[in-house]
Amino acid sequence: MIVEPARNNASAVILAGGKSSRMGRPKALLPFDNQPLIVHIVRALKSMFAEAVVVAAPDQELPPVPATVVRDEVPYQGPVGGIYYGIKAAEGDFCFVTSCDVAFTNLSLISYLISHISNYDVVVPYWQERFQPLHAVYRRSVLPLLKGQLERGELRPIFLYDKVRTRKVQEDEIRRLDPEGLSFMNMNTPEDYKEALKRWERMRPSLTCTVELFGAARLLAKTKEVSLPLPQEATLSHVLSALAEQVPVLVGRVINRDRGSLVSGYTCNINGLDFVRAPSARIHSGDKIFILSADAGG
Amino acid sequence: MYGFHSRLLHIDLSTGQSSWRELEEARLRAFLGGIGLGTSLLYEFAPPGVEPFSPSNPLIFTSAPLVGTGLTTTAKFAVVTKSPLTGFIADSLSSSHFALELKRLGLDALIITGQAPSTVYIHIHDQKAEIREAEQLRGKSPGETEALIRAQLNSSAVRVAAIGQAGENRVRFATISNEGRHAGRGGVGAVMGSKNLKAIAVCGGRETRVADSTGVEAIANSLRQRSLGSLTDKYRKIGTVANLAVFNRLGTLPTRNFQQSTFDHAEALSGETLTENNFSRRHGCASCTIQCERLFKALNGAEQRLEYETLFALGPLCGIKEPEVVLQAAQLCDLYGLDTISTGGTLSWAMECSEKGLLPEARDLRFGEPNALLAAIPLIAQREGLGALLAEGSKRAAAEIGGESLDWAMHVKGLELPGYEPRSLKTMALGLAVSPRGACHNRSGAYEADFSGEVDRLRADSGRGALVVASEDFAAVLDSLIVCKFLRKCFTDFYSEGAELLSKVTGWDCSSAELKRIGERIHNLKKLFNMREGWRSEDDWLPERLLSETLPTGVAQGTGLTPNELREMLQGYYQARGWDEKGFVPHKKLKELGISL
Repeated sequence: MIVEPARNNASAVILAGGKSSRMGRPKALLPFDNQPLIVHIVRALKSMFAEAVVVAAPDQELPPVPATVVRDEVPYQGPVGGIYYGIKAAEGDFCFVTSCDVAFTNLSLISYLISHISNYDVVVPYWQERFQPLHAVYRRSVLPLLKGQLERGELRPIFLYDKVRTRKVQEDEIRRLDPEGLSFMNMNTPEDYKEALKRWERMRPSLTCTVELFGAARLLAKTKEVSLPLPQEATLSHVLSALAEQVPVLVGRVINRDRGSLVSGYTCNINGLDFVRAPSARIHSGDKIFILSADAGG
Repeated sequence: MYGFHSRLLHIDLSTGQSSWRELEEARLRAFLGGIGLGTSLLYEFAPPGVEPFSPSNPLIFTSAPLVGTGLTTTAKFAVVTKSPLTGFIADSLSSSHFALELKRLGLDALIITGQAPSTVYIHIHDQKAEIREAEQLRGKSPGETEALIRAQLNSSAVRVAAIGQAGENRVRFATISNEGRHAGRGGVGAVMGSKNLKAIAVCGGRETRVADSTGVEAIANSLRQRSLGSLTDKYRKIGTVANLAVFNRLGTLPTRNFQQSTFDHAEALSGETLTENNFSRRHGCASCTIQCERLFKALNGAEQRLEYETLFALGPLCGIKEPEVVLQAAQLCDLYGLDTISTGGTLSWAMECSEKGLLPEARDLRFGEPNALLAAIPLIAQREGLGALLAEGSKRAAAEIGGESLDWAMHVKGLELPGYEPRSLKTMALGLAVSPRGACHNRSGAYEADFSGEVDRLRADSGRGALVVASEDFAAVLDSLIVCKFLRKCFTDFYSEGAELLSKVTGWDCSSAELKRIGERIHNLKKLFNMREGWRSEDDWLPERLLSETLPTGVAQGTGLTPNELREMLQGYYQARGWDEKGFVPHKKLKELGISL
């Protein structure tokens, strides 16, 4: 499913070819949300990207996965090799690259990263004083430079960043969309995996609300009402993010590209009583969320 | 002088004489154009206590400094007179090429007094005014009148404002129509009819000079851009009819003469449904980039323009659920030149009277009965049968029928309420109660506070006064510059941007504080006019129904408004205005605002 026309030229690349030595078993196959972890991640990304590419080691075992699978031509060349083979195989003008050991996919943050690529070659988060090359967006034009790095044995992605137009996304920007940095919580050990499973249980959708669309939003969506499953302690931001996934045509027109807020000119009302725009507004099970013009009356 | 032509044309239809008079800069700077200038001229030209249908009651058309500058949404004019519905100020705005041509006559105001011995129209061109015989136009619709006059004058450049049969017959809520749009509220068309004036045809050639054309152009470009963004999505993509479905869900859609605030058939009548099923085309006023106007296909194949206020008044307010019937009723109102809000308001009053046995001669006139509604509209315009009573508006009709019907005559000062339920919009309730022209949603947008979340819309408190004051003064400035209210959200700081714009147009050095003060001055002068014409404290009040019945349905079920709550809000308002506790403007306020009467 394509999220919005502007991203037709974007692909997702998932690197799955790591050695998993500390985990003791292949990370891509770890059960997560009743499916292998790699499938869980690909499915999440496919709600946003037209194309997903999984980069695996030459002999690596993979479950059936709804993505194009490519194999490293030379195994274990580190992240630069995976990024290079993934972008090379993808069709998009730019690629969001991630790894197969991060279970919590935050589409709002990914959308935010992509929204900055137009003037850059790389958009990379800088979280807790470290670049996060495996949660970054790369323009296809960096391929020759990556190839050169491989040839020279420069296996760290950050060598690339000085050579191209790089947008360093600061921690405060990231925290607005992903306060705890779950996007960078990769699982390396059985303890990490256990912790992620626990967290996933807590975050599972546990309440339902109904969004009622009015005016231009209804005409765009071609529907009056959308029912949304939400995590416990959901906020308006969760509602908008979930709505963006179900009704992608609203993104950029009614819901901002960050997927957590409304564009100017629109507002929300909860249960016909409270007008709210703050993304942090709490939502309760059974709430009716109206999305309407901020210019009521007239 | 820049931005203005600094003169007015006065035509006396009794004598057939016309004269030009200079408009002094001090007055223009104090009141701008549009509603402000019109109010100032009304105060001067209307003899105190004048009867609205007296030849002496001036019918005043005004232009404004931004008209003709090419700024989006500014092709507007104002009509100001003493209202035959309320006995207070009637100030109506309309928008079309007539507005542009009126200014191109080289004037800022056109004042018509007197009464022609028989039906006439006025043709103003080449600095002269001709009064032409128009008996053959009697009974014609405004649209037909416009076409016939343009054919007679053999000119496509001429622009026409005209009345229909309702105006000719002095229906107290008749409109003045121009290119399918209307100066709608307060009965300005009836005053025109009382002068035996069928139409005004204008054709000018004078351009408006501005002080800083490059500066004005830059602002015009910026506003044009802003007017095309998401802030105006509602108006550009669906039009004001979008209000209906939302208002229904918010429990603020007046239904069956304000007996309910939700309508069971709202979805069938919603702007979204109309857009899907009946949409014909989008249209807009001259010089407008927003193009909010929506034309829908009526059953007879014709296109019909529909706004929320018309949709609510001829739909839920009368219990009508069929979109085709509402479109047909709207067509009839346009054909006869009737204000749709007052038509729906008066008819819904009559429907309730009929259902409760107070109008035995109108047994068929019941909520939700399409044929009765459609049959009643021509009767009103022609003052025939029951129409003679209803042509007087709900206030006078209720005074005639008496009894409980007075409690459900839904008007303020005689002007029927627009489509906002006051019990579930408490700031709006106050705005409606105090508005100088009666129950009005245009001369203030008090509902904005209720819809913004900054206040609890279901509860009343004295703090609403200041919000209403701010909204009224803001509207007074917009209506006098003139800028359409649908552009209002596109300004980041309206007073400073407006002052800059006005300075570049006029060459004045106008500050945001001055502009704000102008708004306050205009509003105070409206009130002073009303005081002179007999305003009393009890005129700032709401219909009994709103103060004694709670809402029976919807999210606001159980919500009411008590007289004490209204009194508290009124005190807050008078205090915020700097008026005395009974609502009169004290002398010191006049001094503060530089008003000398």
